[in-house]
Amino acid sequence: MGRVVRFLRSLLRRDRVEADMADEMAFHLAARADALAAEGLSRAEALRRARLEFGAPDRYKEECRESLGLRLVDELRADLRVAFRQLARARAFSLATIAIVAVAIGASTALFSTADAVLLRLLPVERPDELRRLAWVDSDRSGFMGSYDGSMHAWPSGRLATSFAYPVYRHLSDHSTTFGELVTFGRASQLNLTLGGHARLAHGQLVSGNFMRVLGTEALLGRVLTMEDDSREALGYAAVLGHGFWQRELGADPAVLGRTLLVNGAAAVVVGVLPRGACGVDPSWCPDLMLPMAMQPVVDAGPDVLRNTRRWGFQVIGRLKRGVADETARAETEHLVAEAIRADEPSEAWDPPHVVLMPGGHGLQDLRSDLETPLLVLACAVAAVLLVACANIAGLLLARASDRRREIAARLALGASRSRLVRQLLTESLLLAALGGGLGVLLAYLVGDGIGRIFIGSDRLLGVEIALGGRVLAFAIVLLGLVGLAFGTLPALRATRLDLVSSLRVTGTAERTSLRAGKVLIALQVALSLALVAGSLLFVRTLVNLRAQSLGFRPENLLVFQLDPTLNGYRDGRLYDFHEQVLGSLERLPGVRSASMSRWGLLAGNRTSDGLSVPGGSSTGVDVHYVAPRFFETLGFPLVAGRDFTRADREGASQVVIVNESLARALFPARSPLGQTVVAEKTPLQVVGVVGDTKFGSIREPMRPTVYYPFRQQPQRSMTYALRSELTLAALRPSIERAVSEVDPNVPLFELASQHQKISEVMREERLFALLVSGFAVLALALAGIGVYGTLAYQVSRRTPEIGLRMALGAQRAHVVSLVTREAALPIGLGVLGGVLASLAAGRLVESLLFGTSPRDPLAFAAACLALVLLAAVAAALPAWRATRIAPMRALRQD
Amino acid sequence: MAERASILPGTLELLILKAVSLGPEHGYGILLRIEKISGEALKLEQGALYPALYRLEQQGRLEADWGVSDNNRRAKFYRLTASGRRQLRDETESWNAFSTAVATALAAQPGQA
Repeated sequence: MGRVVRFLRSLLRRDRVEADMADEMAFHLAARADALAAEGLSRAEALRRARLEFGAPDRYKEECRESLGLRLVDELRADLRVAFRQLARARAFSLATIAIVAVAIGASTALFSTADAVLLRLLPVERPDELRRLAWVDSDRSGFMGSYDGSMHAWPSGRLATSFAYPVYRHLSDHSTTFGELVTFGRASQLNLTLGGHARLAHGQLVSGNFMRVLGTEALLGRVLTMEDDSREALGYAAVLGHGFWQRELGADPAVLGRTLLVNGAAAVVVGVLPRGACGVDPSWCPDLMLPMAMQPVVDAGPDVLRNTRRWGFQVIGRLKRGVADETARAETEHLVAEAIRADEPSEAWDPPHVVLMPGGHGLQDLRSDLETPLLVLACAVAAVLLVACANIAGLLLARASDRRREIAARLALGASRSRLVRQLLTESLLLAALGGGLGVLLAYLVGDGIGRIFIGSDRLLGVEIALGGRVLAFAIVLLGLVGLAFGTLPALRATRLDLVSSLRVTGTAERTSLRAGKVLIALQVALSLALVAGSLLFVRTLVNLRAQSLGFRPENLLVFQLDPTLNGYRDGRLYDFHEQVLGSLERLPGVRSASMSRWGLLAGNRTSDGLSVPGGSSTGVDVHYVAPRFFETLGFPLVAGRDFTRADREGASQVVIVNESLARALFPARSPLGQTVVAEKTPLQVVGVVGDTKFGSIREPMRPTVYYPFRQQPQRSMTYALRSELTLAALRPSIERAVSEVDPNVPLFELASQHQKISEVMREERLFALLVSGFAVLALALAGIGVYGTLAYQVSRRTPEIGLRMALGAQRAHVVSLVTREAALPIGLGVLGGVLASLAAGRLVESLLFGTSPRDPLAFAAACLALVLLAAVAAALPAWRATRIAPMRALRQD
Repeated sequence: MAERASILPGTLELLILKAVSLGPEHGYGILLRIEKISGEALKLEQGALYPALYRLEQQGRLEADWGVSDNNRRAKFYRLTASGRRQLRDETESWNAFSTAVATALAAQPGQA
């Protein structure tokens, strides 16, 4: 302990230490001289004798520094100075290396920071390891569920659903003996929030009264929501604001506490503000405000959802009691869920759902599952690039070290120890790594949360903070240390393992081993680049396949945007009249062929799903559209039979639907669906038309059975308008805005875009994947090319005398070319083989990201092999050509 | 100048500790003191004293302060720490044991082994 402190003190007060040392020795000499002078010597003679007796002060000073542990530091400093000088001398080499390292480290660090935030860090809630998220497996016999709102995940036996009906939650909460407490919450997106007379769109979350207490959320200002806020007897509604919303929209005004805001017209008092980062349990979505579950009727004007056992739209999280096994809690929960369903016996056939408990500590799985595979794949790609970079730099250093053989041999001959020289060479490579790495971390900092945003979309409210924290920096530092050692160790050891005599004589056997090492490095680079190229081709094919998918409608010349008139207080009949009025004026705009609207539009990232049946039959899962007349004509898909909706299909009139061909086939395999009756939530509906199939939610999924309702018969608040026009978005925008504001200037128009832009947005992940992996592949290819070229060129320059001799003895040019290229053929061949094997092994990782192609796609592999072989041929051609230009006489005279 | 014995490696530090244990002293004084208490029999390489002093100081056996010497020069005075005192005691014991053993061995007569 004390020693370290003393060492650091002497390190930090180095000048003082040196001055003291000099003073002390000077005193010694002076005192000795005094003593000698007292014995009768002359002053000058006394001083001379004193110096003689003392010995060489510089040597003893050096030993003193060693005693203090300062010598290593001094040597390191000297090494660094030498290293800087060496790097400055080989400027092109140094800059190239630094750039390569910067890109590789930057990409790795940016990826790691994202992975760290999303996958590794626990939620900022109390004792997150005790939390369990409840889920159940959706099957054909889920007749207890009328409608579902939430996410579904792929699961071995069906789909994993995470939403429950509110009465089911209440039953669990009242009767569970295995969970200490259960909380529930649901989204309340697109709320019309009025504060200080100004209406705006906000995204809220409905939470049960115990939500914040159970998760251990504390308020930054005021208080959190409590059970009292969530009771029906509450005197008024309470709301808690999210930190981001409070800062962004209210300028972090603390006086907001106690003020009343209107949520969809209902008054609620702001009782608190949440601290930064408190976003509930879904890190991918940070709400603007949290409302008690009791406000649900205000949020969604539908039938009384809180009493409805058929509307499954609320997620449930429980805190396990101490010592309760997961399976015990799971079995009890399963039993209780079935009990709650039975309490309001469904009319349709059903089996009790199989319940699954998932760890809740990392937050909801949505974001994780969205990001896990992409991050893993990108991490592999980056690791491959990093390895290629290391192999490449190691190859360059190896060649450089060979050029410095004479310098190194001389130093060894003069008595420098090998470890000392290795240290010197490693200092150089670590310095390179540090310079490149520093730049890389800077790059990663600039990228920031960009990678996360790429995959989850910039429009979502991100609850996790992706930042360069201590853990990320530690990762970067460890990584660049490893990188520096990885590309520095081999060359440093090789360079110093010299047979002194032969090295000083220039040509020697040590060269053979360094050539062999170079070949191994080439094989490695070729293998990894091949894997990356093959991967990028698979992603590009995926993109091409997706683009080639038939959408079922015509996306060109189509503009879309959203309007939510409830933001300005429209309700019921007035609301639908507003939409019809706007549609009417849009249709009359010059240049607009037709106009219509639906709840979500097509391929815009959202969808509604529901169940539908023939009377007495079992329910079929369908996608749902709520549309205005002329929707099919506007979007560009055919009405196959029957009629389109008209303005007469409104509230009060008989309820009608239009089905698509898939649904018609599923429900009425043998007869015409026209005039038939279907049932949704016990309501009979008459089929009046059949339309073609289209994609709705995603391009990857096949076209699903779909039902279309007239929008006035199934109340919707916000609608997505669609306009078919040959005019561009920019040309049409002013007249669209005018048309809307003529009806009501206070209803904001949002998300105006072309349908093509919407589709690009849906394919963003695939596009970026193709782009990023291709970028990495090109980088790796370039590095591998440089590697092959550099190694061969170096080899030719080393073998110049030999080649010259052969040519002097009559060797043909072709022979010389084969002499040079033969050396490269084996490592390249091995590299190609290794690369193919490696990418076949890695195939399973990317399988779920591909579309219309297999991870063993022979075309992609053939193309990748061809690319690598061509590259190698080009990279080998120049050195081979140069070898044939060797003038025998000059070569023989070299050295 | 009389022929004097040069010291065994490793014993220099022991001698320094002993010399300093007699009272705080500067480097040159320690040198004189060692020569004096050894009966002028040990010859020290003068400069070699300092690396040993620095080592002992770094190890925490000695502490040092700047003061003023007899003839009014600024000098660095060393004194023993508790840990130095312990070290001196331990090493003195093992030295004595060692030298007794060597002396006994060297006093052996033919036939005794």
